[in-house]
Amino acid sequence: MSGTNIQSAELRREPRWAAPARALALPIALLAVWQVWAMTQPDVMRAPSPAHVVTTFMQLTASGDLPGALLQSLGRVVAGFAVALLLGIVLGVAMGTNRTVRHLVEPIVEGFRPVAPMAILPIAILWLGTGTSASVSIVAYAAFFPLLLNTVHGVIQVDRKLLQASRTMGVSDLRILRKVVLPAAMPSILLGARLAMGVAWTAIIAAELAVGAKAGGGGSGGIGAMMFVFYAYSIDLNGIVVCMIVVGLVALAIDRVFRLAERRLVPWKR
Amino acid sequence: MQGVAKTRDPRSVDAGKDGAAARAMASISPVAPLPLPLTVPGTARLILGHPAAISVLSVACFLLLWWAVALWTASPIQLPTPPAVFLALVDLAQSGELFDNTWISFQRLLISMGVATVLAVPLGFAMGLSPRVNSYIDPLMEMLRPISGIAWIPLALFIFGIGGTLPVFIMAYVAFFPILLNTVAGVRGTDRTLIAAARTMGVPRSRIIRLVVLPGAVPTIMVGVRIALASAWAAIIAAELIGSPSGLGFSIEWYRELLMSANVFAYIVVVSAVGYACDLLLRLLRARLTPWVRGTQLS
Repeated sequence: MSGTNIQSAELRREPRWAAPARALALPIALLAVWQVWAMTQPDVMRAPSPAHVVTTFMQLTASGDLPGALLQSLGRVVAGFAVALLLGIVLGVAMGTNRTVRHLVEPIVEGFRPVAPMAILPIAILWLGTGTSASVSIVAYAAFFPLLLNTVHGVIQVDRKLLQASRTMGVSDLRILRKVVLPAAMPSILLGARLAMGVAWTAIIAAELAVGAKAGGGGSGGIGAMMFVFYAYSIDLNGIVVCMIVVGLVALAIDRVFRLAERRLVPWKR
Repeated sequence: MQGVAKTRDPRSVDAGKDGAAARAMASISPVAPLPLPLTVPGTARLILGHPAAISVLSVACFLLLWWAVALWTASPIQLPTPPAVFLALVDLAQSGELFDNTWISFQRLLISMGVATVLAVPLGFAMGLSPRVNSYIDPLMEMLRPISGIAWIPLALFIFGIGGTLPVFIMAYVAFFPILLNTVAGVRGTDRTLIAAARTMGVPRSRIIRLVVLPGAVPTIMVGVRIALASAWAAIIAAELIGSPSGLGFSIEWYRELLMSANVFAYIVVVSAVGYACDLLLRLLRARLTPWVRGTQLS
């Protein structure tokens, strides 16, 4: 779909480079403005500019600081996500297949859902300190809800005829679960996993930032803490922008990987 | 589907009584795929079968469990008991501090949602209506979108300093993208036959946009606004916690530093309640604005 075709003559035949040129026009213009603005600033402020951002990126990569922080954050995300995956799917299947369980758990889940992961952070710090386990638990909390809700939704939507057919043939409940319910719910679960991973990545940045900000001196590491150190201690705006871009790129990469997985694992969808 | 649900369990019609949460879930789950194998005797079954009763029961169980764990750990700093949290809530409400902070955060939410809507809806219309505008702006949006609002906090601290502007900026940024994407999708999803019909009758372009495209896009835009509200409400806590001297997020962190955990929990309860109330309000608004849409209520 290329848009509501009110301006019908808009897309005429055009050279092959036209589309990418249009796509890059605005970003390049903004970068140019930014660069010019930065060059007019007094250097005392160490105003960030595209050129400085690139050199800072090179330095941070060469020194190993950036890859190290990135790996640390990614490790926490994967750990928290794994916990959420396990809990979300088990509870989600239980809620999806059993009405009583669903009615029992639902009010509690709905009560917690509007509570942002960051609101839980003070409690996590109280219970677990300012180390890795606090960040991991925030990630798990954040990722849990999309996984749970999508699993429940997927399980509920399983075709009843398939269930009745397999039940008629005397298939055991466990086998029905494994062979009918889970495959049918898989697209929904994968969607939940993709959303959850996105939320988890945001949550780890927030958690590391806040732990860095509140625990005095980002001792816990990770890319969020790195950003806070750039803000509060070394006052390096270029470093902050580098981190922002890296955070964005990782988010993009995560999204792509999960979309690819969706296409691979459930090829019958779309 | 609906019919099957009713014959299977006549009480499922009452699903709405215990609030919209259960209603939302019940409406997507009219059918229990694998019915409960265990059989419960008559009266108990009648009580347990009622969704409202089960909700009350589950919340009660949760509170009792919390209380038991709190008594067991016996550390009011780590885990205050439910009555302690309730008393803290009453105290904070009586001193007026609770309402002040809630009002501040709510104001920020309103302002940022307003800013995001005012920016995103016209831009979304331009992008949805004109492939050319879209081809210029969409790539930039796709570059910015993966950078979460949270990641802007350190930079925004430099630009705006600690204060009220920072949370508003972060929330408006967070809210902007869902509204934009949904507006574009809504505009593009307009029924082409309707547009063709209107054009055949000689209706001018601006009137087509106002009378055909806009009403068609409103339901999708409302979904975007709902998603935006939820993510903005999630972001406000982080923004206020790090970069603001007032509001709910600030208060949560403030009382954690003072080790007054009962107040921390009380504020978390308020965050949950306000977030839930806002969502409910939006759902009511949607029912008012677009009564013709009977959505899945899933989003």
